[in-house]
Amino acid sequence: MPTILSYVAVSGGKPTRASFEVLTRCRQIAEAQGWDLAAVVLAPDAETFAEAAGRYGAATVYAVSSPDFDHALNPPVLAALTTVIELAQPAVVAFPSSEGVKDVLGALAVRTGGAALADVAEFDVSDGAVEALRPVMAAKFMARTRAEAGDGSPVLVSVRSGSYTDEEAPVQPTVETVVFESDASTVRQTLREVVAAAGGAVDLSDARVVVAAGRGVKDDEGKRLVEELAEVTGAAIGASRAVVESGMFPATAQIGQTGKVVSPDVYFAVGVSGAIQHVAGMTNSRIIVAINSNPDAPIFDVATYGIVGDLYKVLPPLIEELKKANAA
Amino acid sequence: MKFCVCIKQVPDVSAPIQIRGGELVMDAGRAVLNAYDASAVEEALVLTAAHGGEVDVLLIGPEKAAETVRKALAMGAARGTHLVVADDAELDSGAVSALLARHLDGHAYDVIATGKQAQDTDAGLAGSMLAERLGLPYATNAVGLAAEDGTLVVTRQGDAGQEIIALPTPCLVTCSNDMNDPRIPNLKGIMAAKKKTIDTQPVADLPAASVRVLRYEPVPSREPGQKLDGEPTEQAAAVVRKLHDASVL
Repeated sequence: MPTILSYVAVSGGKPTRASFEVLTRCRQIAEAQGWDLAAVVLAPDAETFAEAAGRYGAATVYAVSSPDFDHALNPPVLAALTTVIELAQPAVVAFPSSEGVKDVLGALAVRTGGAALADVAEFDVSDGAVEALRPVMAAKFMARTRAEAGDGSPVLVSVRSGSYTDEEAPVQPTVETVVFESDASTVRQTLREVVAAAGGAVDLSDARVVVAAGRGVKDDEGKRLVEELAEVTGAAIGASRAVVESGMFPATAQIGQTGKVVSPDVYFAVGVSGAIQHVAGMTNSRIIVAINSNPDAPIFDVATYGIVGDLYKVLPPLIEELKKANAA
Repeated sequence: MKFCVCIKQVPDVSAPIQIRGGELVMDAGRAVLNAYDASAVEEALVLTAAHGGEVDVLLIGPEKAAETVRKALAMGAARGTHLVVADDAELDSGAVSALLARHLDGHAYDVIATGKQAQDTDAGLAGSMLAERLGLPYATNAVGLAAEDGTLVVTRQGDAGQEIIALPTPCLVTCSNDMNDPRIPNLKGIMAAKKKTIDTQPVADLPAASVRVLRYEPVPSREPGQKLDGEPTEQAAAVVRKLHDASVL
């Protein structure tokens, strides 16, 4: 029976929500196709996440533990995933899309003789191939795309966050502990430093609430209001390209087609005009609240609730109302 | 350092593009150097100006794409190679990287650079595929490059922050357009480019593509929303009420 293998990414010591979205989609496909569902976790202590993967239906969890996975170099990740793919012989391997996944997806496809589909908005299996819908042309269009790998090779798919809803379906998984020792001679690169983003304490990609600042946030006072709104809603702070380029917000906060793709329950677009590349990074948000003084700003085309107004006048009462709601 | 920058000609995504019968319809005349590749060319030119060496560019594309090779030469690249394929050649990232690897095998470049993705397909796979085929250490999504003796120091934008990675040469790097503002070729550069040679090589046997586009579709639109009227205090109260009713806060 073929296997579909789902990659569970660990960030800040816990599996990411996007991983469970992908695992849920893999379970749906496994049920429809009559396939086996397995998960793979790479972490310093990978076995500890097996139960979480089982909660979403993974019957087998390949756990690869190594301190190497605490940092960002691609050779050990590639080596470990290749080992697991050789063991599990999956027909399809699905990943939550992230910079870490984008870093290895192509190389892994070549190494395993497989095919790869990056950053899909939806995917399914039909006649032994994977069909997916991908945003293309700077996210102006979707391409319905089909990938077929050679005999015995997998199709690799990375999935944009928020494309699917995570749903639990608990099973007791079999844990396959994969012994892995990184071969130092194959690493050939050195991580000198990780400059962590200065910003909110909440991980943007996984956040349930996001406050995104755009060009309308002009000064320290505007930034302070954005930070206060984030604080009162427990939100992660994001930014449009314009305010990242101006240096007001760090590059790690950039949301959009070339930045982070986010899919929170609530997305506050504060002074964001809504360029198509920005919208591509947040269109999977459940509720979008847009505040912009320009009534014709394209952000209002995607907003669930739009407020045409000056953010400097709208945010203070909004923050007050939210404080009241929190206290109630 | 000797650089080879792999570049691509892409449709100008800011031009009007429509879908007819599942196909994209656009002005074929409006084609440009992929913005991410332009940043890779720019960075290679800056590094070679500072540390010595030169920059070659390599492009796979139809005959028309020669103009994009010429543009990179006008920016300051020394030599261009154009692997010519038919207008309707079916190439996916795997096939592109196989063609590039076939050509680059045996060349002694210190650094192979390319954009992190192409603006038309937005796949972002060919770079790391090429590194794997050539057996090179690599880093993706670079936002800064520096050269040291025998080492390329890459600042890449990762998930949790910026990672500074030292790669021994020969190596491969894919570049973000957040890295620099690529120069616009000046008249001197354009005149100089006319004298530079482009090595044009027809590609006879295309590697097989495993990924095919079946058709193009519009982006699904969201449900139309509503604008909230009133004074800021009323608008704020209305938003909070709606978020509360939706049980999201």
